[in-house]
Amino acid sequence: MNERVRVLAWQVVVALAVLIPWEGLTRIPWFQEHTILDPFFISRPSLILLKLWDWTFGAQRGFLWPHLLATLWATLLGFVVGTSTGYVAGLWLSQNHFLNRVLSPYIVAVNSTPRIAFVPLITMMFGLGIVSKVVTSWFVVFFVVFFNAYKGGTSIERELLDFCRTLGGSARQVTMSVRVPTAMAWTFTALPNAVSFALIGVVIAEFVGSTTGIGYLMIVSLSTLNASEMFAALTALSAVGVALVFAIQWLERRLLHWAPEFRELGA
Amino acid sequence: MTEPMIALTGIGKSYQTRDGGSYQAIRHVDLAIAAGEFVSLVGPSGCGKSTLLNMMAGFLSPSHGSITVDGAPVQGGPPESIGYMFQKDTVLPWYSVRRNIGLGPRYRGVDRAEIGRRTERLLALGRLEKFADAYPHQLSGGMRRRLALMMSLATEPTILLLDEPFGALDTHTRTSLHAELVRIRGELGQTVVLVTHDLEEAVSLSDRVVVLSGPPSTVLLDERIDIPHPRDVYSVRENEAFGRHHRAIWHVLGEQFRLVESA
Repeated sequence: MNERVRVLAWQVVVALAVLIPWEGLTRIPWFQEHTILDPFFISRPSLILLKLWDWTFGAQRGFLWPHLLATLWATLLGFVVGTSTGYVAGLWLSQNHFLNRVLSPYIVAVNSTPRIAFVPLITMMFGLGIVSKVVTSWFVVFFVVFFNAYKGGTSIERELLDFCRTLGGSARQVTMSVRVPTAMAWTFTALPNAVSFALIGVVIAEFVGSTTGIGYLMIVSLSTLNASEMFAALTALSAVGVALVFAIQWLERRLLHWAPEFRELGA
Repeated sequence: MTEPMIALTGIGKSYQTRDGGSYQAIRHVDLAIAAGEFVSLVGPSGCGKSTLLNMMAGFLSPSHGSITVDGAPVQGGPPESIGYMFQKDTVLPWYSVRRNIGLGPRYRGVDRAEIGRRTERLLALGRLEKFADAYPHQLSGGMRRRLALMMSLATEPTILLLDEPFGALDTHTRTSLHAELVRIRGELGQTVVLVTHDLEEAVSLSDRVVVLSGPPSTVLLDERIDIPHPRDVYSVRENEAFGRHHRAIWHVLGEQFRLVESA
């Protein structure tokens, strides 16, 4: 307990060590003129808070919500579609040697190309709406999950499968009781990463072409050179990211309670 | 002797090697095991004792010869009447102890009330009642082995094929599992084939100990152990007959170890 209090105290110290000089030094004219410590570039904690207040409950009441919701919704959709398709594809290819051998060079090729490079193409194909964001997000998440599920599917020991056959399990029954849960467990270890990647995909898609979302707010702040708005958007985005990762960890603890070793891997 | 429970006739097994040649693992094995017998297979590593067990379970096919289990030839999968235990841990970590035990009967479409009855009986038999709703990661190594055995018993097999099931355990846990096995077999009377590298284990539990040669394998010795049942696994090693059988088998087995080493 003592240790926890000390850790917490030092965490506050670290935060203040950044925030106080940031707030203080950007008020000193010399620094504003000779360094980058100029509120024009890096804003100032109080200005950022003020902007966030404006966007939520202040002067521009409610301005932030639709953008926040757009990003969150696209992220969740991309995450769900990406993990489920990645899981099914990984499990399927781990069972089907022939298909696996046919497809593996293509999988390697697509996986080796930076996924972000596809974003302009995706935007061109699917327009400025939510579809482009979800497709980008899916595209990024799919491979993260796919490789984990595939590895899970191939990691099952022959002895376990043979044992289940002696118990009378048909091929389909053994798949349901052994392969599906094993691949599921491996998939779950990828979920905290997958949700972060889903968010990255959405924000990039919003950068490239969109009319809503936190990424869109950032691009607007860039074009108007408004550092406070930029930081306010960043803060909102980071809150979304943290909330999503916590939610996934909570879900993982509930669904993987039988596998402490997997939980540690995933955390 | 009436119709044997397990009959291996003229079994041989060869493998294709990478350079296109062939490797003969088993030359010729004939073995008949009567209903209710406890037979152990011992031999130097690589002698194909696990291979023989895998053939009885239908995981592998012999290159020559035939296998019948419970009167029917083994082909294309495990016979219904066998229960199998691997050295590797084969419990399903995502199921509770109770659901693990019920897995076999669920596979076989046994009705729910009957699954419940069998599960309760096996929980008691394996002394796992207190852990019925626990998950495998909460069990000790010995308890997981007991669970694997109970899972095999849930399909009510008349034959148990045990592939070094106690190999990875410490002497204390292993001996207590021997006691469990003796007790359970005393109640249910299955035919047992045990593959082991532990000669003391083989002599203390078996009616017969079969010694295989190094590859290409044949049967070198088929020793009948006359120590009366029921045996007390803790004191059987002090039995005068135990020492006599142990020495007789070791005389053949030790020579095989020497041969395999110098080959």
